[in-house]
Amino acid sequence: MEKTAVGSLSQLTVGVGAGDMATADMVLNIGPQHPATHGVLRIALTLDGERIVRAQPIIGYMHRGAEKLFEARDYRQILVLANRHDWLSAFSNELGVAMAVERMLGLEVPARAIWARTLLAELNRVLNHLMFLGAYPLEMGAITPIFYAFTEREVLQAVMEEISGGRVHYMFNRIGGLKEDLPAGWLDRVDDAIAAVRRRLPDFDRLIRGNEIFQARTRGVGVLAAETVLAYGASGPVARASGVDFDLRRDEPYLAYAELDVPVVTRSDGDCYARFEVLLDQVAASLGLAGTCAQRLRDLPPGPINVRLPKIVKAPEGETYTWTENPLGINGYYLVSRGERTPWRLKLRTASFSNIQVLGELLPGCLVPDMVAILGSMFFVVGDIDK
Amino acid sequence: MTKVPGKGLVEGLGVTLKALTRRSVTQQYPDVEPELPPRSRGVIALLEENCTVCMLCARECPDWCIYIDSHKETLPAPEGGRARVRNVLDRFAIDFSLCMYCGICIEVCPFDALFWTPEFAYAEGDIGDLTHERDRLREWMWTVPEPPALDPGAEPAKEVTAAQKAQQPPPVQQARQAPARPARPSRSAGVAADRPEVDPPAGDSS
Repeated sequence: MEKTAVGSLSQLTVGVGAGDMATADMVLNIGPQHPATHGVLRIALTLDGERIVRAQPIIGYMHRGAEKLFEARDYRQILVLANRHDWLSAFSNELGVAMAVERMLGLEVPARAIWARTLLAELNRVLNHLMFLGAYPLEMGAITPIFYAFTEREVLQAVMEEISGGRVHYMFNRIGGLKEDLPAGWLDRVDDAIAAVRRRLPDFDRLIRGNEIFQARTRGVGVLAAETVLAYGASGPVARASGVDFDLRRDEPYLAYAELDVPVVTRSDGDCYARFEVLLDQVAASLGLAGTCAQRLRDLPPGPINVRLPKIVKAPEGETYTWTENPLGINGYYLVSRGERTPWRLKLRTASFSNIQVLGELLPGCLVPDMVAILGSMFFVVGDIDK
Repeated sequence: MTKVPGKGLVEGLGVTLKALTRRSVTQQYPDVEPELPPRSRGVIALLEENCTVCMLCARECPDWCIYIDSHKETLPAPEGGRARVRNVLDRFAIDFSLCMYCGICIEVCPFDALFWTPEFAYAEGDIGDLTHERDRLREWMWTVPEPPALDPGAEPAKEVTAAQKAQQPPPVQQARQAPARPARPSRSAGVAADRPEVDPPAGDSS
């Protein structure tokens, strides 16, 4: 056995004759197809035994050229595409594009549209968080919670489908407001849905939050420091779990958030458990906001829900940057227009992209089994990483 | 965190126990049909009697999944007039394997020829069969539901305002409106006489 390692390539040296008992590093690919990743994120792990020495997230397996496609589609068609990059927060994605174009046009959106958008954005946030609240325990072997999460999601999706016609890709925003007004009695059904989800939230507390096994796997695992959050531009629940008290809905309000008292859920531990808790408490907070919006919609005087625009909408020459607090973090839209019916450039800044970059800092030093817990707690959607 | 060990697990089991006593939420789909709201985007229906082959839907479609073929037909000149050219639909097909279900085609249709219907059970073994030709699209028309009533705070639908306006005005306007009304359903007879300027340019630009 004279096959000693040659060159810089890490090779496994086997045999007694190798002399010193040094172990070689092993490079292990997690993904692009792997049961522990959701979607096609690939992580190249360098392992020293069970311990991760280096982790490099490799992205691009789901690149669909959305930004380039935006340049060849008019603003209404862009909404179709924008709603798809993060398929769990379709409404919030449309919203950002619509708001960017409206700002360029200097368009005043009717009050009913603003409140309805706020309501739908919050319902979308709850839907998104419920997905992760179910899927995260699932990744760690707890199969039951996802069934509970999906029962609640179904209640909300029924309400979303009734107003928009879609269960996932709502396609309900238009430049200048919403596509259609609310169906009669819809607000009551929203209230019922909110009440139903709220009733079931304590179950999540008892099923997952208090579970010793879940705590053992998540407490103190994957601690993300606030400095790292800031350095990498992570945002959303991931950042707030590390004590970064930043939420655009409160700090730079858009839509009707300025008139709402937005509770910002934060934790200081920065571990997987804290990230999960932020998500869980955010659901309760968002349900409260949605309830308030529904009440405000009832009290509003009758009026239009969109602005009548000419058939061809052309954003005037110029540029703007809009950002919104999407369920997974900050989404930014940099829109450059040359006054044509398509944007010259529409750059997306997506939450998942920044959030997973932290993995390179977070994973080294962890054990392989912890990697699954950390990966799941970063709450990302692969489509949102690659666009 | 000084708790009785295993308390969390027992509480979790309590949730399971509670769920055991609750009615199941599962719908046994093929036996129980889901109740879908009227706005549900299941499949697109075509009312080809209303279609003027203006091609707006095909052009506005973000992924160009609508195929339209047509030819021009010259109508014999009415007495004292000139001959009219109109478009005749030869093929109208939507490829539902490409369709993104955004509804832009329905929104842009100026003559209400396209509608959403909540029907969803049209899965096929062969991807080519997902292209629904005009007769199949026309069949879906029978499943189009009435739109839902709107919230009290909503502006009345523009069709309602138009209808109210049509009912109220003085006899002068009513006389003008009366012949225009029956012209819509029976297109073949009405269009050439009522909208001679609208149709040919729309067809030409396609």
